[in-house]
Amino acid sequence: MESFEGNIELREIQRLEGHTDRVWSLAWNPATGHAGIPLSFASCSGDKTVRIWEQNLTSGLWNCKAVLEETHTRTVRSCAWSPSGKLLATASFDATTAIWENVGGDFDCVSTLEGHENEVKGVSWNASGSLLATCGRDKSVWIWEVQPGNEFECVSVLQGHTQDVKMVQWHPTVDILFSCSYDNNVKVWADEGDSDDWQCVQTLGEPNNGHTSTVWALSFNARGDKMVTCSDDLTLKVWETDNTVMQSGDGFAPWRHVCSLSGYHDRTIFSVHWSREGIIASGAADDAIRLFVESNENSADGSRYKLLLKKEKAHDMDVNSVQWSPGEKRLLASASDDGTIKVWELVSPSQC
Amino acid sequence: MSEKFSPALRIGDLNDFIAPSQACIVSLKGLKTNTTKPDKPEVSIASKQVQSEPVKISLKDCLACSGCVTSAETVMLENQSLDEFLSNINKGKTVIVSLSPQSRASLAVHFGISPLQVFKKLTGFFKSLGVKAVFDTSCSRDLTLVESCNEFITRYKESQPADDHGSSKSSLPMIASACPGWICYAEKQLGSFALPYISKVKSPQQTIGAVIKHRLYQDMGLRQDEIYHVTVMPCYDKKLEASRDDFTFQLESHGRQQNEARSIAEVDSVLTTGEVLELIQLKQVEFKSLEEFPLDRLLTNISEEGYLYGVRGSSGGYAETIFRHAAKTLFGRQIDVPLNYRNIRNSDFQEVTLEVEGKTVLKFALCYGFRNLQNVVRKLKIGKCDYQFLEIMACPSGCLNGGGQIKLKPGQSPKDLSQLLETVYMDNVLVAEPFENPIVKSLYDKWLEQPGSEKARRHLHTEYHPVEKSITSLLHNW
Repeated sequence: MESFEGNIELREIQRLEGHTDRVWSLAWNPATGHAGIPLSFASCSGDKTVRIWEQNLTSGLWNCKAVLEETHTRTVRSCAWSPSGKLLATASFDATTAIWENVGGDFDCVSTLEGHENEVKGVSWNASGSLLATCGRDKSVWIWEVQPGNEFECVSVLQGHTQDVKMVQWHPTVDILFSCSYDNNVKVWADEGDSDDWQCVQTLGEPNNGHTSTVWALSFNARGDKMVTCSDDLTLKVWETDNTVMQSGDGFAPWRHVCSLSGYHDRTIFSVHWSREGIIASGAADDAIRLFVESNENSADGSRYKLLLKKEKAHDMDVNSVQWSPGEKRLLASASDDGTIKVWELVSPSQC
Repeated sequence: MSEKFSPALRIGDLNDFIAPSQACIVSLKGLKTNTTKPDKPEVSIASKQVQSEPVKISLKDCLACSGCVTSAETVMLENQSLDEFLSNINKGKTVIVSLSPQSRASLAVHFGISPLQVFKKLTGFFKSLGVKAVFDTSCSRDLTLVESCNEFITRYKESQPADDHGSSKSSLPMIASACPGWICYAEKQLGSFALPYISKVKSPQQTIGAVIKHRLYQDMGLRQDEIYHVTVMPCYDKKLEASRDDFTFQLESHGRQQNEARSIAEVDSVLTTGEVLELIQLKQVEFKSLEEFPLDRLLTNISEEGYLYGVRGSSGGYAETIFRHAAKTLFGRQIDVPLNYRNIRNSDFQEVTLEVEGKTVLKFALCYGFRNLQNVVRKLKIGKCDYQFLEIMACPSGCLNGGGQIKLKPGQSPKDLSQLLETVYMDNVLVAEPFENPIVKSLYDKWLEQPGSEKARRHLHTEYHPVEKSITSLLHNW
């Protein structure tokens, strides 16, 4: 992280308007931003719509390319692209998850997944795009298998959390699923052992230095051996596992608490995202965005991470989601209760 | 929500921010709930405290309410508990126990003896407590199966395009009705769309209740209202089933209380296998050394030679029996070999087909556990379900793995226990055709006339009711 020493700035590139209610979440299309394909991301909102935004290659500015509406009847809480960027899954408070197919820039709703009793809050594709996970207010986590013809089959309904499940996230390389909840726990799910169903293989909770209030989100580093979680308890927590054991497929490698980043936030942290090059971004209820990097110096709280910068008043209201872009540039998109999305670029002073 | 309920019921527990006692909307119907002590102190104004009796919530209230499936393990334990069972014996009620074959298997595995030995010892044990008779729900299940076969043939014929009118859309697939977890889920969560597919025939538990309270009481020289009928089941959800209004009837009283019609339940109480084990432990008996009592043959599948008999299939054998019957009746194919089930996705989703002249004419499936149930429901909804019969059970591995069964011993894997139970379930049990069951035959001869008759439908068939989402429950979900 040497390159981040000294002055560095999170510069606002553009403020995107269009949603008529709070913007809950956003997701970059992983198949964009290289080979001449313009960067693109999806945003979802309390206005029941999903918007697709694309960067103009000449101007560098962002335009709304499509509005996905008249499918969800309530808030769209989160969205996720399949690894190929062909399918977009959207989770809604209307208890359904919709699957949209990208056909030359047009989006058709090709499937609707029902089963959750009420609000669906999170959705995530696994690394190969063969499995989709959803979670929600009914405390359950569902795993769906993608079948030919945009059919989806339910392979598991996991009932381990005791409260609302806020988010699900697959590990970036191995088919292990993580969920975080209003019950303060992060649960790890795997399909192993002699049972033919998925099961909870680890619970990261208060007894193992976990969070003491709602866990809102989690994110992995590029190697997949570290994970960061964010919570209503005003901390970020970093966890790690033995990557060689996990990659070899010789059973499950448990996760352990590395450190807690406390004292930096004074309101709920809703979103956290780890960039490929190791910068952790957080979005919180104090309208600010913070960036953290690993550091060799031991900080006062004993963590090996230090605050790189804090962008005060990044939005006029809560920052619900922060996501780093794919591609060459260090772009960060943020979504807020103020109804806007902002695209930021992380630049060093020499570039100013 | 208790882990004891089937997965289908657990998923239905809707309210995440509100504890069950708070969520219960019975209080909003003008009653006051029996609230539990809150964790945090509450401000209360002493002078305004209302003196009123705590309201008791019955399982019926839970069934009729869409707020949650039931928050009420306490309710269940109050109405259908060991204490209640013992107190009815002490009150001088004539207590009749009907034992399920799945419970028998669970106890047999636990004690390391045969199902027949369990049955005989348990008969002795219950009688030592004052129970009048112990029967066998594999006997009433044969009656359920005969009615189900008949219903299937009728539905199949309705589904065939007759002249220009086309087929009746909701006649097939027919879905087994024995799993109360599935029924509750279908009624509360799926609205009205799945209900027409569910077999109208009562479960073996309710069938034996109907036989005892509508017919057998006469042969036993008893009055309907003096019988306290208890079933022993592998499943907690069966307690909910027994509480359904559909399974009670009004008894017109004679004499003094002329105008008072008494409500009689087919099944007064359900004990789980685990609760029976608790009772055995409570009474401090050495179960294995108990005497083997003669069985009550009136409603028990025991042959002249002393063998237990029944159908194959540890979740009741619905698909198995109806498949064989349909193959013979509709296509003239007598199948004398074991059916060839194929795993689809996992061992809890299996299908069996019959081909005639290269064409698949029958396609049935076993579908156990909530995840498989979801896929079938999904297919049904989009009109892509090509099965004619579905044996749906809410629990993974089916009824032998019901929530009321005896728990795993330390170190035992669920898979090992499941395989052990499957083996023990049919250990020394003869495979027999329900249509040939002499008790079933005699019930038709002397009482029900024939399968599907007006009398059979009156006593052995039932109805399902979609539970509308109430405004209060919607508020909770807001």
